[in-house]
Amino acid sequence: MKIVKVTVDGRTLEAPEGTPLLQVMLDAGMDIPHYCYHPKLSIEGSCRFCQVRIEGIPKLQISCNTPVRDGMVVKSDDPEVHLVRRGVVELLLLNHPLDCPICDKAGECWLQNYAMRFGNREGHTIDPRRKRGKRLDIGDRMLLDQERCILCRRCVRFCNEVSKTGELHVFELGEHSKLDIYDDQRLDNDYSMNTADICPVGALETKDFHHKIRVWFLQETATVCPTCANGCNAMLSVYKNRIWRMTPRRNDEVNETWLCDWGRLNIGYPTDSGRLRVPIVDGAAATWNQALDRATQALTDFTQQHGAALGAVVSPHLTNEENFRFGELLKALQVKQVAMAVQRWKPDDLLIKAEKAANARGVRELKLVSGADDGLEQLLGAIESGAIKGLYLCGDDLLKVTPPDRLEGIFSKLELLIVQSLTNDPRYAHAKVIFPTTTFAEKEGTFTNHAGRVQRITKALDTPAGWIGDGELFTHLLNAVTASGETYSIANVWDRMSSDGAAFAAVQFDNIGPHGVPLAAAGK
Amino acid sequence: MAARVVKVVRPAPTTKQWLPILIGLGVASAHFFRNLFGFIRGRQDFTVNFPEQRFVQPPAMRGMPVLVQMANGKERCVACGLCEWACPTSCITIFPAETAAEVERFPEVFDIDMARCMFCGLCEEACPEEAIVMSRQVEISSYSRRGSLWRKQDLLVPEAELKPRLDYLRAQYARK
Repeated sequence: MKIVKVTVDGRTLEAPEGTPLLQVMLDAGMDIPHYCYHPKLSIEGSCRFCQVRIEGIPKLQISCNTPVRDGMVVKSDDPEVHLVRRGVVELLLLNHPLDCPICDKAGECWLQNYAMRFGNREGHTIDPRRKRGKRLDIGDRMLLDQERCILCRRCVRFCNEVSKTGELHVFELGEHSKLDIYDDQRLDNDYSMNTADICPVGALETKDFHHKIRVWFLQETATVCPTCANGCNAMLSVYKNRIWRMTPRRNDEVNETWLCDWGRLNIGYPTDSGRLRVPIVDGAAATWNQALDRATQALTDFTQQHGAALGAVVSPHLTNEENFRFGELLKALQVKQVAMAVQRWKPDDLLIKAEKAANARGVRELKLVSGADDGLEQLLGAIESGAIKGLYLCGDDLLKVTPPDRLEGIFSKLELLIVQSLTNDPRYAHAKVIFPTTTFAEKEGTFTNHAGRVQRITKALDTPAGWIGDGELFTHLLNAVTASGETYSIANVWDRMSSDGAAFAAVQFDNIGPHGVPLAAAGK
Repeated sequence: MAARVVKVVRPAPTTKQWLPILIGLGVASAHFFRNLFGFIRGRQDFTVNFPEQRFVQPPAMRGMPVLVQMANGKERCVACGLCEWACPTSCITIFPAETAAEVERFPEVFDIDMARCMFCGLCEEACPEEAIVMSRQVEISSYSRRGSLWRKQDLLVPEAELKPRLDYLRAQYARK
């Protein structure tokens, strides 16, 4: 592609020929106001907000629908451009309700921001604002407020081009235009909540965030969605140590700027009231030290009595670092059979992947498990035949992928069961020790997605005082079993992971940027 | 969006700076002499017999913040959270909820920790709905920290009682 040069306000910018002028200016860090333009959607040109003066053309041009060509001279700081911006804001505000105190978008609303920057402080109209439908229930997860809509049609294009379901449409013409759904359809596709993100005003709102919290209180943390193997980049919004919502973070290699509804809604479990908060020893709550002592004692006794008859289930929800340390612990305990249980659901060709866990690929890359079903059938068979008498179980996925009666038979055959779990499930009644496990929002580390991209997760929630995370837990047990003095930190685990010569050898933790590093490319 | 700094133009110091000082001295001396020689004109009480008598504070006085209760018994607050944001001591806690009424949003929880409140009035200034105002109430001491946590039901005051303050505020904001 030919690289062309354009001059914008005296700056020379370079871009491939045919790129929208607006995108070139935005990439150069210029603050050009726009509503309808979205880098991942087709160009509409309905808001008329991004107009600039281009030398040689008498009228102002919308920069989103102007492909750059060589030698273009553009002025964005022009008296006429400022006049147009003020006019656009005033026209949009003609019928926009003054709902800001109750609107969920207030604080991150583009109309609010631009009205404060470019708008008149007083309107000229004497007519009453037009009435439209408010709080319309257009989908299981979405609400529509037609009064607030500024008709940029981003959501319409999203439903036509990305989710390809086409539920939304702008009906009627001119002054009567309004955004609505078709009579026989509801906005219920798997990606419907993205329309609320791309809506520049508060016309489309998600029900799970409706009237929950003001956005200016939220603290955002860059992380990775833990729900499926795709590893979509996301932002966690936290206030008062609770996750209020998850929004997509742009990563052109993984999720572009989208996130599926099921990932967004699956953020309640870290702060769920039913979550296990203290270790359980022999069915009763205990301190972390008691639980660690009991687990060490049980593991050493078991090894003396039965030799190498211990099996383990690795969790695909733990980070690469934690699973690596778990692998070291399993080696020290002479574990015979290692397996992984992964839940599966229906994938699609956009974002949702079949494996319902964030780090299944990472476990396989660490060579902890092998085989088509990750060794699960072999392990369960060995327990049923009595070859394996003890089990170290990480995560709750085994409960969900195994039929209940078979699971009961397996658990009742075990002489030793140590569990790391989110809940104190009644099926764990045989367990000697149940440790609470740590969720993705409460720790640092990396996940490897289905395509082998290593991406960082960041701690967003505080854990209670005295809490021992999964990585530290494995390290404590490793130290107790082998009488060594290891410490757990991301840096020293990565040193060992890199020197191990395995798939992670070529990746350096410090080089994993905000968008991750693919294992394959790093290995070449 | 970057923050903008507004440069406020203040009037230059004039040569008549002694005038306000003299006026202030005049007011203070007038009170002094009235109290000193008031008995000559038959005046009996020079103080208010607290607590039987109460001095009615002028509307400009900032007492504890309260919520305005409308005639239908509901609060006027829509839980927008601006007072929570404006509060320098973070003494306000709001959790919004939804109703089927026309104003769809209301505070399910509206707590003010009076032990932390410093009566600055920024919440009142931030409020877009005239829903939280500074009352004349200042007697809010309690025997425990729990007692200084005021819930929504404790904070509601009928609009009629707050009329002087509301009128005062409107007059203030109408002034250019």
